[in-house]
Amino acid sequence: MSRLLKKLASLRLTLVGMIALAVLAVVGSRNPDIGTGVTIWPIALLVFNLLAALLSNKVFRTQTGLLVFHVGMLLVFACIGLTVLTGYEGRVELVQGGAFDASQVTTMKQGSWHDHRLDDLEFFQKDVRVNYLPNFIRLDTNSTIQYRTAAGEIREATTGDQRTVNINGYEIAATFNKGFAVLLHWTAEDGREALGSVHFPSYPSFDWKQVTTWTTPAGQTVELELELEEPVADIRRSWTLGRTDLPFEVQIGRSGNAVATARNGESVALEGGTVRVEGLRMWMAYRISYLPYLSWLFVAAMLAIVGLAMHFGRRYVLPADSPMKPRVMEADVHVARV
Amino acid sequence: MSPEFEWQLIVAGTVLLLAATLVQLTALARRRDGYKPTAIIYAATATVFGIAIAGRWVREGQGPFMTMYEILLSSVFSLCLIFLVVSAAMAVARAGAFVVSPLLLMLCLWLVNESAAATPLPGSFDNPWLWAHVLSGKVFLGFCMAATALAVAMLLRGMLSAGRFARLDAAPEEAEQSIWTLFFVAFICHSFMLVAGSVWAHSAWGRYWSWDSLETWTLVTWLALGGLLHARATFKNMPAGLGHALVVGVFALAFLTFFGVPFLSIAPHKGLM
Repeated sequence: MSRLLKKLASLRLTLVGMIALAVLAVVGSRNPDIGTGVTIWPIALLVFNLLAALLSNKVFRTQTGLLVFHVGMLLVFACIGLTVLTGYEGRVELVQGGAFDASQVTTMKQGSWHDHRLDDLEFFQKDVRVNYLPNFIRLDTNSTIQYRTAAGEIREATTGDQRTVNINGYEIAATFNKGFAVLLHWTAEDGREALGSVHFPSYPSFDWKQVTTWTTPAGQTVELELELEEPVADIRRSWTLGRTDLPFEVQIGRSGNAVATARNGESVALEGGTVRVEGLRMWMAYRISYLPYLSWLFVAAMLAIVGLAMHFGRRYVLPADSPMKPRVMEADVHVARV
Repeated sequence: MSPEFEWQLIVAGTVLLLAATLVQLTALARRRDGYKPTAIIYAATATVFGIAIAGRWVREGQGPFMTMYEILLSSVFSLCLIFLVVSAAMAVARAGAFVVSPLLLMLCLWLVNESAAATPLPGSFDNPWLWAHVLSGKVFLGFCMAATALAVAMLLRGMLSAGRFARLDAAPEEAEQSIWTLFFVAFICHSFMLVAGSVWAHSAWGRYWSWDSLETWTLVTWLALGGLLHARATFKNMPAGLGHALVVGVFALAFLTFFGVPFLSIAPHKGLM
């Protein structure tokens, strides 16, 4: 057992692990078929190698700086593992005045240990204001939401750029992705009614193509094109995206052939019912993430750096005759000339 | 400060670094030290570039973080300044000035060929962690460059006839120790740069790590730095020349990661509309 531990603690094995990690990181990041998941193997090797070194090498453990650095690295690996296993990341679009609906969230990443609690989130979209400099340079994003805290209180907060809102552990962040939406009121021939929104492509990224498709409750798929009758942006000046009182019309048709045009408040008859345009709104895309171990990952990484600095101080800064200078045998590993 | 005056300052800095390169090469050929005039030129270059950065900062209302022009401008300034500080604290490091001068001149020649047009800093980028990330990156590169310059000097000392590196001949052990001291500081700074960059990326883009080209190659550079320090502890009989050559190799990797990858990949450090 002791021999196996010493073999596993080999410094040469550490180098093999580091080289393998570097190679697989490059190969995995450039080749989606392989993916960066392959880096788990060299990381596992390095973790076992380090644990074995900590257990089997007394001198290694007496070097405080090195010990702190390597324990910090172990904690970094542990926090990365926990972050991957318990983490969650999703995307959702919310229309102004609309409430968050967990069923609309597109999950991007979900750890196998994550306890899905998105249904508990309650928030709804208020105003959106995005300030631009000339030449469509985005300056700042301000998206206001109203939400219910875990204690049941109703609060309002503005997210965007570095500002996020934490609801029940989930971090809600407005992204750069946003655009216009129209509210549509559907009245079926049998009298049933429905109100919903249709989101047009991201604005101003796709200001030249505000077209989308919509399938009516009766099953007819139509093409909707938003025509803003006033310029929203001036490429030469600073401007703000977020006004919803702009004059507009919606062209409704099939694959590019407009069959009708509806302004705000106007109705158009379609197969199985009538649609009425109820207004212009903004939609905002949110990133929803749950990364409870991220702050611990930061602490572990900083601990490792402090360990490095301590080791540097002992080896290079303190005078040679200092009583603090480590007394190390040349044969000992992990120390002498690092 | 007008863009024209900024341009004149950069041309002046380039001419100064050309002079430093000529002084160093002449000193090497004549077996003289030549550090004092070089240090004066470096101080003048750092002053000229410092004024150019400050003037541009006031005019554009943001730091030099966005374009290749700004990154080169701030890098020449920081590398010049760090080498001066290192040389003041560690006399033996001055032997590397003949490597540093042409390297800084090359960066300057690259700089004058880049567009000086400014790109506004997106709101999502404007975060104190950006400062921590950029500053630790500059310090890392400065220390790594100083270690590399000294390693090149030590390598050439073994190849060229005696007497060309009097400063190293007088204290070869000190020079050897200095290379690894500087390299270790570079490793610490690089580690902090990675951490600060992750914190900044999380606030700017909502993810702390995404395996883009820049991040991947920065990790590879970190592994190369750590790996070399580790290899030195593992192979105690590693020839000094091999160690020096590997230091140069790690610096080349770091240099390509710093100045090559961000502008060849899908602009990882640029804003999204």
